[in-house]
Amino acid sequence: MWGAFLRWDKYGYFFAIICVLAATGVFLLGRDIFAKGQWALLYLLIIVLVAALAGFRASLVASLLSFLTWNYFFLPPYNTLIVHDVKDWLSLAVFLAVGIAMGLQTGRMHDREKMAIARERETILLNRLSAHLVSVASTHAMSEMLIEEIQQVTGTDKSILFLADDSGKLLILPADENIDRSIISLAEWVNRQNKAIGLPDISSLTQLGVKGWPISVPHSSVMTDAVRTDIFLPLQTTTRVEGVLYIGPLPSGKPYTLYHIRLLVSIANLAATFLERQRLEMAAAKIEALRDAENMKSTLVSSVSHELKTPLAAVTATVTSLLEDDIILDADTIRGELSAAKEDLDRLNDQIGALIDLSRLKADAWSPQREWCEFGELVGTLIAKLSINERKRITYTIPPDLPPLFVDSQQLLQALQHLVENALAYSPVDTIVTIGAITNQKEFRLWVEDQGEGIPIAEREHVFEQFYRGASSAHAPSGTGLGLTITSEIIRYHGGRMWIEDVQPHGARFVIALPFSGEGNS
Amino acid sequence: MKNSSVSIIVVDDSVQIRRALRSVLTARGYVVHLAETGEQALDLAAEQPPDLVILDLSLPGIGGLDVCRELREWYHGPILILSVRGRDIDKVAALDLGADDYLTKPFSTSELLARIRALLRRVNNRSTAPKVIHFGDVDIDLTRRIVTRAGEYITLTPLEYGILAYLARNANCVVTSNQLIDEVWGDDAPGDTQALRVHISHLRKKIEKDPTVPQYLLTEPGVGFRLSIE
Repeated sequence: MWGAFLRWDKYGYFFAIICVLAATGVFLLGRDIFAKGQWALLYLLIIVLVAALAGFRASLVASLLSFLTWNYFFLPPYNTLIVHDVKDWLSLAVFLAVGIAMGLQTGRMHDREKMAIARERETILLNRLSAHLVSVASTHAMSEMLIEEIQQVTGTDKSILFLADDSGKLLILPADENIDRSIISLAEWVNRQNKAIGLPDISSLTQLGVKGWPISVPHSSVMTDAVRTDIFLPLQTTTRVEGVLYIGPLPSGKPYTLYHIRLLVSIANLAATFLERQRLEMAAAKIEALRDAENMKSTLVSSVSHELKTPLAAVTATVTSLLEDDIILDADTIRGELSAAKEDLDRLNDQIGALIDLSRLKADAWSPQREWCEFGELVGTLIAKLSINERKRITYTIPPDLPPLFVDSQQLLQALQHLVENALAYSPVDTIVTIGAITNQKEFRLWVEDQGEGIPIAEREHVFEQFYRGASSAHAPSGTGLGLTITSEIIRYHGGRMWIEDVQPHGARFVIALPFSGEGNS
Repeated sequence: MKNSSVSIIVVDDSVQIRRALRSVLTARGYVVHLAETGEQALDLAAEQPPDLVILDLSLPGIGGLDVCRELREWYHGPILILSVRGRDIDKVAALDLGADDYLTKPFSTSELLARIRALLRRVNNRSTAPKVIHFGDVDIDLTRRIVTRAGEYITLTPLEYGILAYLARNANCVVTSNQLIDEVWGDDAPGDTQALRVHISHLRKKIEKDPTVPQYLLTEPGVGFRLSIE
């Protein structure tokens, strides 16, 4: 408590004077008890006390005052500054010298302790800040923490963090529309010039020995309204200015102490480091994402060109072979070649259609046009699209009282068609494909199941990817490799889910769950 | 009618399609006139009304839909629409404007020829003999307005019969919901398709083997309905 009270020098002087006068008062009561030399020793005690509590300057005052009072009250003749005994002159001189020396020594210790305490407090604060900065993830959280910390330490009620974006524009944190225009324009100046405003002259601060001390200009050099005590600090890193830290004036109107200013500069440096780290991390993440997208794009392009060019190459080969006149082909051979070319063209058409559908879905250009429809109607339409042989393999189990669905019936038909075509293609031709539907309290469950080999668990998450072909596809007719991707996109658009189950004894069941609620189904 | 006396106008802005259709159709004995734009098509048709128009929807200048609308003001022959995938709104609009059927590009020659024959037959049938449509175990006698199933009479409400008869006259062709509603309800047409759906559902219970998964009276999602009698 005393320490806090004696932080300012002028209180120290008062303290010294009061101490000496009070001691003199007490000493006078027992002036005849001790010899005159012993009183000198007691005065030295007081000087040491003052030096320890209030520092060297106060102890100097105490020494001089003690010198006078000892002379005045305790060296005969009393109550005068006249000294009779020549030996007393020597005592007085020695007293003054010893008093000053002791005060000097003790006072230095006191000052060092004060500085050590300040340093320690500063270190603790900066440690706490940097620990927090490591743990906070967002710039927002950082700015809140920083501003709170600054307000606690300095007592200012206004501080603002300005973030500079890549174009040099400043973003204000916390967002506040009532900020003084002059503060914003000064912050912009600081950001552009990378110079602080309002710091004390660097030449008087050499003893502070702070690294990263910004170049500063006085308020008067940037604006006419020179009577300001607020501070603008650029948040500078090695590469650029990350922003500006504004610390408003103290409510008392007094300028900031060196102690505070040094802390603020350290805080600004910490914040700058944090912001730089954030910016670099974000840039790295952006580059990563770009590279991923680039990879995906090139994979897609190469897959697409492969998928489109393969059937085209086959047709070209067939047709050019028919055009060659080196051998005479009989009508049956020509017919066979042409029907093979027709199949390739069909595949090419499916492929292009699937790609168009998928790109419309991915580009959100094919949003569902919902209407009421019966699932059975869609199944009937789907079956009618199949060849006679395929129709024979289809069975269905659809309850007659299944409520109508509120869906984009064209899209759902498309999804169903992909599932059925897949099931037909990936299971032996003498097996059955079953289309089913059921409803519970929450949702519709629609499914297509086959009696093929089933899909290994490891492959299940991949089958919905573009151009993925399962291991069993080696001996299955070629599809587009996009059907399941399109299906899952359509189902996702309808707010539904899709998964694959095992069928006993063998086979795969693709299940679609469509919600009633919120989607118009009831 | 012999093919050689049948004239067809093909309207398509793509030279490949015009070339292909000319060779396919001329080989079957049809007389083919080619038009590159809607304006040309309208001029050609006005000069010498054809027996059938094959119309591409995406045309430069006057669009296919406008050509269809203008033709329908005076031309009563069949119009077959060519469309690309994914333009269902256009397809429905064309059908509602009076086009008779549509074909999605790419199409096979057999499919095209089948549609052309079906459309021409329909025109001829309008003026000729009584007609019985048969599918599954159902017979629809359009002249006597009688529907039987396995020889037994089926009782239909007038609206149900109207729907079924219209679909039967356009058998195997897609009919839009709006066409059906206009045909059956006339001026009292309801604003939405709900009533139509209810009647279709009743009809299915009377003519389908399994009304839950219809086999003949099919829904064409987003477009309308089709009576499949193949």
